[in-house]
Amino acid sequence: MGRYVVRRLLWAVVLFVAVTMITYVIFFVIPADPAVLAAGRSARPADVARVRHYLGLDHSVPYQYGLFLKRLIVDQSLGRSFVNRRAVNSMVGQAAPVTASLVFGGAILWMLLAIPIGVLSALRPRSLLDRAAMVFVLIGISMPVVVIGLILQYVFGFKWNVLPNAGYCDVINPPLGATCGGPAEWFTHMILPWVTFAILFTAIYVRMIRSNVMDTLGEDYVRTAWAKGAPGARVMTRHVLRYALLPVVTMLGMDIAIALGGAIFTEYIFGLPGLGRLAVQSLMSFDLPTIEGVVVFATLCIIILNLVVDVLYAFIDPRIRLE
Amino acid sequence: MEKRLWFSIVSAAIGVGLIIAASATAAPSAQHPAKVVKAAAGGTLVTELNSDVDYTDPQLTYYVPSWEMQYATACKLMNYPDKEASQGGGEVQPEVAAAFPIVSKDGKTYTFTVKPGFKFSDGSAVTSANFKMAIDRLSQPKLASSTSFLGSDIIVGMQDVLDGKASSVSGVTAKGNKLAIKLTHAAPDLLARLATPPFQAITASLAGNHDPAGVNTYASCGPYYYAARTPNRSIKIHRNTCYKGPRPHHVDTIQVNVGNSPDVIYQNVVKGTTDYAEDGVTPTLYAGIAQKYGVNKKQFFTRPELEIDYLALNHDPGRLFHNNPQLAKAVNYAVDRHAYLAQRGFLAGVRTNRILPPGMGGVTKATEVLKNGYPIKAPNAKKAKSIAGGHTGSGKAEMWAPNSGPGPLQAQVVQYNLKQIGVDVTIKLLPRAQQFVTARNRAQATYDINWSAWGADYNDPFDFINILLDGTSIGPSANNNDAYYDSAKFNAQMHKAALIAPGANRNAAYQALDKAMMAEDPPWVPILNRANRLFVSSHFGCFIYNPVAEVDLAAACKK
Repeated sequence: MGRYVVRRLLWAVVLFVAVTMITYVIFFVIPADPAVLAAGRSARPADVARVRHYLGLDHSVPYQYGLFLKRLIVDQSLGRSFVNRRAVNSMVGQAAPVTASLVFGGAILWMLLAIPIGVLSALRPRSLLDRAAMVFVLIGISMPVVVIGLILQYVFGFKWNVLPNAGYCDVINPPLGATCGGPAEWFTHMILPWVTFAILFTAIYVRMIRSNVMDTLGEDYVRTAWAKGAPGARVMTRHVLRYALLPVVTMLGMDIAIALGGAIFTEYIFGLPGLGRLAVQSLMSFDLPTIEGVVVFATLCIIILNLVVDVLYAFIDPRIRLE
Repeated sequence: MEKRLWFSIVSAAIGVGLIIAASATAAPSAQHPAKVVKAAAGGTLVTELNSDVDYTDPQLTYYVPSWEMQYATACKLMNYPDKEASQGGGEVQPEVAAAFPIVSKDGKTYTFTVKPGFKFSDGSAVTSANFKMAIDRLSQPKLASSTSFLGSDIIVGMQDVLDGKASSVSGVTAKGNKLAIKLTHAAPDLLARLATPPFQAITASLAGNHDPAGVNTYASCGPYYYAARTPNRSIKIHRNTCYKGPRPHHVDTIQVNVGNSPDVIYQNVVKGTTDYAEDGVTPTLYAGIAQKYGVNKKQFFTRPELEIDYLALNHDPGRLFHNNPQLAKAVNYAVDRHAYLAQRGFLAGVRTNRILPPGMGGVTKATEVLKNGYPIKAPNAKKAKSIAGGHTGSGKAEMWAPNSGPGPLQAQVVQYNLKQIGVDVTIKLLPRAQQFVTARNRAQATYDINWSAWGADYNDPFDFINILLDGTSIGPSANNNDAYYDSAKFNAQMHKAALIAPGANRNAAYQALDKAMMAEDPPWVPILNRANRLFVSSHFGCFIYNPVAEVDLAAACKK
């Protein structure tokens, strides 16, 4: 196990360097000089040169990339934004909990919905419940998140006015100038974003769980368990779900990791100051350090969660041996 | 595994319980925003921004909504009165200065006398030294302010500080209640420049802070001050209880919430939980808003901006409009300004055929167009064709436009219109930031026509005509003159006009320039002056729109 983890970590370093380097190269291929943008529209060439020097853009691209790596490794710093000059660490640090609130809350919700619906649909194929679930799946998969979010927001947040239509409240320590805060307000403000975020994943997971459970129910060892007279609940939990849910664990880890990089649509619709919105803003303004900050964070999330999933997978299924 | 199953079931039960609990608490939560809105005198004015401001720091900020807030927080030597355009709101007047300055005969030294009685929100008195501190701080190379251009070309010693050769601006001296500003050359637009936020008085503690990220909160000497800011989340502006000046100040707090989408901001203004949509709502909603609330009556107002949307006709050698005034005129006849404006949505502005916008340089009415023949109602394709005859060069033109907002559709309007006069337009759509940067680089500006827009930094025709069309300032990069317009005759006239003191003569000189350039060799196709579409809640009272500062937050009150 130890050697496996070390090997994965080494690969993670290679992946990390590749991803950040590609981001750097793409950024500099686009012919938009960030120094001109940062200097302001009325800046003269001398002003632009001064700003270029200040931002460190007067060095070669490889040198800048080397500096970025050095800063990241030695100082644990992602640098400063080209646009507002704030420390990117602080920008990512403020946005990450918001995205984490959305993603983990959404993941809990979709698993709470997907497991019972998927299992029940598999146990009673072609029943009314199964058909209703499949209609839900079809809607969930085919309807864009943006549309779902806007409808929920309009109906519950504006027309009926029963839930906050947008905004984010911190669970603890609301920042200066905030108009809300605390667990209750955090929770109510997150309900619509969670539902919006979870619908697509719920639909995908219902289908996947239904299919896995149906396949597992047809396995010989399950038939044997039934034949031996094992109680239904025991067969379901120890023989069916244990193996039917294995791929779900893998998917869950991947989906959460990807979403942590920014659930752009949901964050935009509900005005959540998370990583997705930060990424869009920084892309629009050619703010390389912030783009790199979000990329670094997302890459780390994917690497770490993949590793966790792999280890967990071996732990759940003793047939899988990592070494 | 059984333990794990039980754990899952218990977790599921807790989750379902939490959802039910949330539903049960949802109704009171929906009332939550009402806590923010206080109907009593004073109270809190809630505004919303879709995108955050760049900075709140007085020497760094350069965004329009931020300058709108700065109008409530800053005190300056010269300022615009809290009045509408029709009442002289666009005329710069002494604020902390006791009177207009004494100007030396050569026009290069301005001496101000600072009025006593103004105080910062921390209780300290405003003196002439606080204005010098602002200019010194604006020039600090470490601060790297993008607004230093407002003074560095005219104030003696400012460039030296920017270049790291000095630590204090030698051309600015503060003694007692006198502040003297020496200029490298006569610049009668200095007073308008001093009315911009970077030149507001600052405290000694802020003067010593050169953090390039700026400060979020600081003591200021206007009717309000920044009390709290969390970037990308919110800004809280409190009343300056030490303020004893004449400017209005009604509400106790201005709460600026940041980050909601324009759709949500609209919903919040309708519900009354937000009082003012500072950077607007979704453009397609304005027609419905106007129908529901009327225009300029209670909750929906339109006011002209000091701004112009135009097509820059590239006059550089090798481009279609180089030494080709006939074609430039023909294009001015051919473009359908009505259709172009319509792409911006309902009541988005007024059509124009002149360079100067209404409210600037003596142009008073929005409908005051030049009688230069260029049609603003419908294109005159017949006339355009007759003028263009034999002057269309290769018959091919490249147009650059932004790939978002109304840009792509407006480019199609131009493409169709120019087809009528025998010019095939190829449209190149770019992200706005990329288009802006590339068009400013002379070697990379390979367009014939560039979609462009310009808003005034300060209310003086210099900031439009000289900044955008003076050919002597064209360099390899960082060009605002995106038409690369360089006429020896008009350059000389621009330089001459820039030296005339503010007033009727200056306005007349710039109006004549506007007229002559458009008649002889149009640098642009001026198309429209944008309007600010302002949607406020039913609680918003005391609505004043200053033509330069925009919505007067200091004067606003709650009904």
